[in-house]
Amino acid sequence: MIKKFQFREEAGWSHADEILLCLDTGSWRVERPVLNKEKCNYCGLCALFCPTQCMVDRDDHFEPNLAFCKGCGICANECPRKAFRMRKEGDA
Amino acid sequence: MTNRKGGLSKVFDYFCNEDPFAEGLSPCPGCPLELALRLLGKILGSQDLVMTGTPSCSNPVMTGQNVGAWHRLTAYCTLMTGAAANATGLSRQYRRSGQDATVVCFNGDGCAADIGFQALSGAAERGENFIYVCYDNEGYMNTGVQRSGTTPIGAKTATTPVGPKQRGKSTRRKNLPLLMAMHRIPYAATATLSHLEDFAKKLLKAKEKKNEGLAYIHLFAPCPTGWGVPTHQAIEVCRNAVRTNYFPLWEAEKGIFTLTHQVKKPKPIMEYTRLIKKYNHLKEDELERIQEEVDYEYEFLRHLTEFRKCVATKHQTAGE
Amino acid sequence: MNAHARLLGCGKKGMLNMEGTEFNKTKIKVITGNSAAAHGAMLCRPEVLALYPITPQTEVVEEISGFYASGELDAEVVEVEGENSAMNIITAASAAGARAFTATSSYGLVYMYDALLQAAGYRVPIVMVNVNRETPGITAVSSGQQDMISTRDSGWIQIITSSCQEILDSIIMAYRLAEDFDIQVPVMVNYDGFYLSYLAEKVEVPCRADVDGFLAPLKDQPQRPILKPGEPMGFGTHGILEGYLELRYKHSTALERAKVKFDEIDKAFERHFGRSYGGQIDTYRTADADMVLVASGSLSGTAQKVIDLKRDQGLKIGLIRLRMFRPFPRERLIETLRGKKAIGVIDRSICFGWNSGPIYVELRALSPEIGYIPMMSFIDGIANMDVSVANIERMVRILQSASEGDSYQKVTWIGMEEE
Repeated sequence: MIKKFQFREEAGWSHADEILLCLDTGSWRVERPVLNKEKCNYCGLCALFCPTQCMVDRDDHFEPNLAFCKGCGICANECPRKAFRMRKEGDA
Repeated sequence: MTNRKGGLSKVFDYFCNEDPFAEGLSPCPGCPLELALRLLGKILGSQDLVMTGTPSCSNPVMTGQNVGAWHRLTAYCTLMTGAAANATGLSRQYRRSGQDATVVCFNGDGCAADIGFQALSGAAERGENFIYVCYDNEGYMNTGVQRSGTTPIGAKTATTPVGPKQRGKSTRRKNLPLLMAMHRIPYAATATLSHLEDFAKKLLKAKEKKNEGLAYIHLFAPCPTGWGVPTHQAIEVCRNAVRTNYFPLWEAEKGIFTLTHQVKKPKPIMEYTRLIKKYNHLKEDELERIQEEVDYEYEFLRHLTEFRKCVATKHQTAGE
Repeated sequence: MNAHARLLGCGKKGMLNMEGTEFNKTKIKVITGNSAAAHGAMLCRPEVLALYPITPQTEVVEEISGFYASGELDAEVVEVEGENSAMNIITAASAAGARAFTATSSYGLVYMYDALLQAAGYRVPIVMVNVNRETPGITAVSSGQQDMISTRDSGWIQIITSSCQEILDSIIMAYRLAEDFDIQVPVMVNYDGFYLSYLAEKVEVPCRADVDGFLAPLKDQPQRPILKPGEPMGFGTHGILEGYLELRYKHSTALERAKVKFDEIDKAFERHFGRSYGGQIDTYRTADADMVLVASGSLSGTAQKVIDLKRDQGLKIGLIRLRMFRPFPRERLIETLRGKKAIGVIDRSICFGWNSGPIYVELRALSPEIGYIPMMSFIDGIANMDVSVANIERMVRILQSASEGDSYQKVTWIGMEEE
């Protein structure tokens, strides 16, 4: 008895509308970006350069979506006003 | 086009489409390749996009797993040997059947400069209608950082180690973007991820130009893991590559060269190499040698941009 | 001739091709095997073709280029820079929905090996002509089936033809087979280089409308999946564990289905065009035969002549011409070979590691079903060496003595051994 097929086609077709794969990349993080809102002038460079494009627009500042932020620190490094600071996960 | 708010950079205007990728993808933290892919989707939009990719670092992102996918784009997984040939087949059939399509071949330097170069050069010569983006991380990163044809002289990789008899790679890199421009294709350009507006403009121009023939973009994309760059400095490395003229930003339309970003006072190559561990072993004379390479390549390029004055004939100005 | 198709397709008067001859008439031509292949491909209206020359196939790409230049062939023709790219181009074009074609030979076939495997695994219904020639290693510009044999586990359907007419007809049948919704497997149509590639014979070139009519049933089938711009579909996904296994299973079972399907298509072809080749195998005087020769390709004509000669001398001998090598026509071979007294297999290639012919090795795997029958491997026709009447008569003598219970040598390198 042959098991039920996963693929509806004969060959290897994937369908994003059926299964959109996603990794829990937030769990990779060892440091998180913390914003000092007073320094932020809402230029958006942090969001532009963020490799995971996980910055959420909060109208007057951007906030990383920590579910997917890998903690690379590019936002902190690229911010012209140094508004982000990387803080070790687990530290207060 | 714009719904940009307040003080936001005008560069946002170029990224008006939705990110077609899933939120959690496999590239290492700080990987410019991930940024490149997400921005490419945002710039070009998914309406008529067909992406092709090879086994590489981009493959776990581009190519699905069983019936699942990492993005909502139309995608085709190619072989490294025939990446440009697969894109040829797709674009020819779309052209023939009257379907609007922007076929983008998205490959690393190993595919573009080495094993898949024949197919790429053939597609360029035939004037195939697609965009070829080579993300250049100067080696075979997915297999564990081995040297490729674009690995620069002096660089330490897993197959060009440093020891008493070898000091990293002993030969210079292949200047692939220049080689592609020498095919006199409608569009060849270099870009990198520190200069996003430049990248976006070039991608949009490539989309337009691909209707006349092959459009090629050589995207400098450092590999933090493979090069020994702290993850937060990946974009800084891109920027310094431009500022030192190690990776000048230019475009060429049918062999007519233009610098798209003039560096007024180029910094010494040390400003670039000091950020990267793969150059840690280099002594002063070796750095001088690299500086000479950079100076030569830049001078060569500058002469090419001046060359346009000599050949501004009727044919060339009319776009041939 | 299918009367309905004739009415539908050929009823239009005054349609002229570029030569000024009538479009709707079957034409009798004296053409080479290569020309027959080019005609066969052109008649199927491929939409994307990738052409790269290699001896002895070159004439195929030249003629197709001519059809394109004259307007007879309306298609995207890619004058590609190598065979590897040729296979990649038509694979992707097929994934995007095109009917696609290419032609190659030997060095070209092995140069596209990674793409060949991909095409099969991607299950794209493309058709490729392979003009058999010896493979690299010993430089040779000569005939031999080693190229085809070296790709036998690629997952392609492999058909071997033996006349110029059969080349043309088999390409038309190949599209029916490859594109069948139940099959969706690429098909390689093989013929002997030099012998058939350059041999000119009388060939009936069907009119385009008749070919359209023959291929029309494909349009009534469900639509195979196609890569369309803007649709969230990925092609060539990673097969993970059971996912990979499932795709392999589907591929393998599709090849099993292809056997009977090919027989059916052969019958349909006969109804439509009045010519039949027997499907998977073509049998000649095997019903009452004690001894059977198994051959393939252009040497089959000579073998048939020897069968007639020996029959005249009272020998009960027959011939099986293998038309399908992948999938291997197990069932029909078993049915034909069961109860015979001796079997001789002529191979134009070597099965390294077995020191015998590869088709012979595969036939030996049928022993549990056909019982113990003396079986001999004859290696002949390597590198253009002529498989002459005398050579085949020599094989028959060995076969006859074995059938009478004498001891026999399992493998004979005809041409290497003193008689």
